[in-house]
Amino acid sequence: MKRTPEEKLLNPRPGSKIAEAAEFGIDLTLLVENLKKSPAQRIKDNDAAINDLVEFEAAVKRARQTTKEKVR
Amino acid sequence: MISLFKAVRLLAAADVEFVIVGGVAVRSHGSGYLTQDLDICYSRTRSNLEKLAEALRPLNPRPRGFPDELPFIWDWTTLQNGTNFTFKTSLCDIDLLGEVAGIGDYTKVLANSSEMDFDGFKARILSINGLIIAKETAGREKDKAGLQELYALRAAIENGLDQ
Repeated sequence: MKRTPEEKLLNPRPGSKIAEAAEFGIDLTLLVENLKKSPAQRIKDNDAAINDLVEFEAAVKRARQTTKEKVR
Repeated sequence: MISLFKAVRLLAAADVEFVIVGGVAVRSHGSGYLTQDLDICYSRTRSNLEKLAEALRPLNPRPRGFPDELPFIWDWTTLQNGTNFTFKTSLCDIDLLGEVAGIGDYTKVLANSSEMDFDGFKARILSINGLIIAKETAGREKDKAGLQELYALRAAIENGLDQ
């Protein structure tokens, strides 16, 4: 019987490329979630995540600077 | 704010002949890979260079790593004088590739691409097979996890590869 991409990813056949990816450390549930989204949503989610990371990085930098100033 | 999505939409709206390659293509196919630059392979015909230069002009592109104090002329002849470029723009970093390692020039990349719908516009994306070839050819350590995801996606999506 033909299996859907989701079924293949959630229950990979032993020795398959999907099983190999899981052994490598790839979180296959994330792939399943991404496949449910449209290509546009996948890119928009990427943009949001990158912008959050940039903001987080800036906050860490500010916090380090404040700590340095307090130590002085 | 970085917006790869807006950059793709802008190029598509300007009718530029391009194929999305690299991280955005990997992501478009369903990978969880995060990327902050847009890599495209573009047709190097004069009319396309003109369209590409005009489309990107509002984003004030400048070569990455190029000193801010030095003047930089942006027009289609700038693109004609090279093949591969790395630009920073007001939306995101954009890399323009005249060819992709392991695949070839725009014509060959185009033949290995498919059209994807982006909720309102269409753009061409390098196929999973094409991305695998490009990443295997590059042989970079940082691509290993991405390659595993691509192998898994190919096996999940394509018929007859459930092994």
